[in-house]
Amino acid sequence: MIDSLLLSQYLIAGIVIGIMYALMAIGITFIYSIMKMINWSMGEFYMMGSYLQYFLVVYFLGANLWFLGIPLSMAVVFVAGMIIQRYLLRPMFVGEMERKDEYATVVTVSLMVFFRNLAVVLAGPNQFAPPDYAGPTHIGPLPVSGNRFVALIGTLVILGLFYLIVKKTWVGKALRGSAQNRVGIQTAGVNVLRVDQIAFGIGVSLAAAAGALLAPIFLVWPENGAIATMKGFEIIVIGGLGSIPGSLLAGLLLGIVESLGSILISPSFRDVYGFILVLGILVVRPTGLFGERQRVA
Amino acid sequence: MKTRSKLFFLCLVSAMMFSMLILTSGGSVLAAETVRIGVMTPLSPPGATLLGKFILQGAEMGVEYVNAKGGVLGGRKIELFVEDDSGTPEKGIAGYRRLVSQKNVSAIIGQVHSSVMIAVGDLSEKLGVPIFSTQASSKTITEKHLMTAFRTHAIDPDRARMWLKFIQEMGYKRIALLAENTDYGLGLVDETKAGAKKLGLKLELKDLIFDKKVVDLTPQLLELKAWKPDLLIDIHSVPTTAYLMVKQAYDIQLFPKAPILASFDWPGRAEFWKNLGDKGNYILFISYYHPNMKLTERGEWFKKEYHKKYGEFPIYAAFNGFGQILILADALEMAKSDKPADLIVALEKGEFKSWNGTVKFDRGEGPYWHQWSPPLMVLQYTETNQSPKDAPILYPPEMKTGSYKAPN
Repeated sequence: MIDSLLLSQYLIAGIVIGIMYALMAIGITFIYSIMKMINWSMGEFYMMGSYLQYFLVVYFLGANLWFLGIPLSMAVVFVAGMIIQRYLLRPMFVGEMERKDEYATVVTVSLMVFFRNLAVVLAGPNQFAPPDYAGPTHIGPLPVSGNRFVALIGTLVILGLFYLIVKKTWVGKALRGSAQNRVGIQTAGVNVLRVDQIAFGIGVSLAAAAGALLAPIFLVWPENGAIATMKGFEIIVIGGLGSIPGSLLAGLLLGIVESLGSILISPSFRDVYGFILVLGILVVRPTGLFGERQRVA
Repeated sequence: MKTRSKLFFLCLVSAMMFSMLILTSGGSVLAAETVRIGVMTPLSPPGATLLGKFILQGAEMGVEYVNAKGGVLGGRKIELFVEDDSGTPEKGIAGYRRLVSQKNVSAIIGQVHSSVMIAVGDLSEKLGVPIFSTQASSKTITEKHLMTAFRTHAIDPDRARMWLKFIQEMGYKRIALLAENTDYGLGLVDETKAGAKKLGLKLELKDLIFDKKVVDLTPQLLELKAWKPDLLIDIHSVPTTAYLMVKQAYDIQLFPKAPILASFDWPGRAEFWKNLGDKGNYILFISYYHPNMKLTERGEWFKKEYHKKYGEFPIYAAFNGFGQILILADALEMAKSDKPADLIVALEKGEFKSWNGTVKFDRGEGPYWHQWSPPLMVLQYTETNQSPKDAPILYPPEMKTGSYKAPN
């Protein structure tokens, strides 16, 4: 029998990790909602964010100015994402292209392989860890590392900013309009190709933010984005493809299910619990918790 | 017509001269042909990539050493062919097949992951090319008594016996085993339980098995913290996730209050302190090498030249990669052939000077078949950023240079 203190510790541990998972998933679902394509290389943008944060903090900013590394990493990855979208993904939206999904899959899977290998070539297979962001602390009864606490707060701040941009700015309106009706938004004078570019940049910069925030927790190495990507995809299936509140809720659910499952059943199958949750949700609601059936004209 | 006859004559003479050249200098033409050795090791995730890198560096320097001394079999140079098994059995099997059927290697070294070595071992018995475990320790590898499987690394029962005796000396009673769900992890859990029974130790053992790829072990560590272990034995095969585990144990204030014993020498690498800083202090770890150990002349050469080349001293994996190339070079000389079957006979019969002593591959009992074991010891870091050279040896008593230091 687990005592209530231990149970609350597991719950808090699940919530902390779940919110971090959600940041990754929101990037994926955001890009999907605008461009209607899955970015399979999302984990590599997470990896880029973590490497950038490491190099900025260790070689330029110093341990005390670690917080400046996060927006800088996001900015660099945002620009990189815009360039990649412009030259590698935009062609699929220009002219009549059949099998857009396959095109996007081939391009983003190729990017995934390319960036992983590039990281090995440039930085080697070794792991790196930036200095700690903060000392140990407590969330209720759970002693947590300062890094996790910072990552949790950082994630909430970034999600808040993201919400403000999407809801309150002109760019946000254009993004939402494009997500709702790509043809209709063009009649309002919005350049959807430019909106796609911005959406891709924002999406991958969210992944970079996750990488930078989690760098001292999950370390920096060429494949560190693989797990984040896998969790991200689980979350968007649970929450509903294209739904941002769904991603947030699904992230929390996944974190809690994994945490409790690995204690109450067995830690050997930690990843399996997430997939069981995915299957359960798909049986009850095939579109995910907040997903909607696509209307085809 | 006359011109055509002249041309024919010229061709005939050239062909004869060429044939004569080959026949008379048979030895030297053959001498140009290299002896091929494969290195199959993890060079990409999810394998232990750093171990693979060190093994490859050691093997390359082994080839340099042998070739600089005139090569083998009358002046033939050794040539390495590298395959990345990523620490996965399926890639290991494909890599072994490629090295044997396409590269025609005489032997293969570099195995790190027990799961891969077990899978490839069965195939090697069919294809006949010897394969060496460089750092894979499951007893199953040599217990199968395969003609083609050899090992110069510690086996699980010896490792478990070592830490059980250390536990006995320290008077620990509640032991947590945090192990990955691989042949390596599960094998060591079984060996520890069986060994405790055999030694008559009255221990409370709690094992938690986790998936090798899991990066967040906080819930498991919270459970262990509530259980209050005297010692936590960490059985990870990939250092990346082991670093994360130590960080997480420190963050929830489990370690260093409860000491952690790492099941192999991953804390001996320079990156350990870079990744963990203060959080890594007081860790205990099993090692097969201490920088103050006496080495053979070949071992000393390697240590010096490696430092010259890479700017740091080699770790055990690099030493073992180097040593296995030297063993193969000596066995080739003894066999007077590069045929795998002849090489196996020589490996079984001979005694070989490696980096840390004389190696023999007897047909021993159980897992001691084709098995040569290095010394095992328990080390502890007692200061942040401590070099392995200054880490005291806590066990066994005949090697002891210090006592366990508890955190303040």
